[in-house]
Amino acid sequence: MSLQDFAIWLSESRLSIALTDSELAFPALESLHVIALTLVVGSIALVDLRLLGLVWRRREAGDLIGSILPITWIAFAFALLTGLLLFAANPISYSANFYFLAKLGLLLLAGINMVGFHLFAHRHLATPGALAPKLSGAASLTLWLTIVTFGRWIGFTL
Amino acid sequence: MITTTLVHFSQWLGASWLSSAVAGHFWVVPALQTVHILSVAVVLLGVLLINLRVVGLVERGQTVQAVLDRFLRPVGIAILVLAVTGLLLIAGEPTRAIFRTIFWVKLALILTAGLLTWSHRQALAVSGSQGVATTTLRKGIALLALLLWLAVIVAGRWIAYVDAWPGAPA
Repeated sequence: MSLQDFAIWLSESRLSIALTDSELAFPALESLHVIALTLVVGSIALVDLRLLGLVWRRREAGDLIGSILPITWIAFAFALLTGLLLFAANPISYSANFYFLAKLGLLLLAGINMVGFHLFAHRHLATPGALAPKLSGAASLTLWLTIVTFGRWIGFTL
Repeated sequence: MITTTLVHFSQWLGASWLSSAVAGHFWVVPALQTVHILSVAVVLLGVLLINLRVVGLVERGQTVQAVLDRFLRPVGIAILVLAVTGLLLIAGEPTRAIFRTIFWVKLALILTAGLLTWSHRQALAVSGSQGVATTTLRKGIALLALLLWLAVIVAGRWIAYVDAWPGAPA
């Protein structure tokens, strides 16, 4: 089943109709999505900047990551849930939008980068001058800034 | 009378070069909104870590003082960027925000939440690095500040959905 087929099926679901009928649901979900996504991006950017050695150098990167990651994951769960519900409110338009599809692709790349970081770069965190954590941080920062930009562009190109 | 002043202000702003600069190209508004939301990310993460550290839920390996020292300045700078991008967004569409009560509620919430978050530093200065930051009152202030910051975001999103004051320019 393609994303378009899924979108058509979803648009006829009770969930989609309920979200479209409600005056409160969409702005409420948008508000929660903004809160969640800003915490996701803010917390990830903080770690990325530390990996790049640009902020808080006196603090061990591993210690910062351990402290910040729970916030990132909780916020990401909220962003994903509210994002799915926002999609359900208008699935056909979103699934035909370039910036929406590109954003999904970039989120996938950010996920792959994160897995790569934990598998390979993470063990070099304490190594002075190690390149792998810096590359991972730079890639993550670039991807997330683009994800936010594309996310905002969706609203202007639907 | 306040409305009349705001009408004059919005007419003046709408006629200024700033307004045509913002409204002149389709990409300027989404670009400004992107910078606005990235600055929200800096503010919200900063005030979350500060206030939840005061409550004692995060960053327990760091002192309250260290977390304040780390985040108050970036939060302050981000608020300035938010003010500038916000003003530019208003310039691009001068009738949108300022004739809606929720916009002024948002500004009042920012002021209150900002002062409450800032007050942790003053409390520490008075009490020394350990004492007051862990009192129940201080924790209550921290939770209230965080809730008000979240309300700022909700109020901001609601600007797009509520009606303007009766008689406001369209």
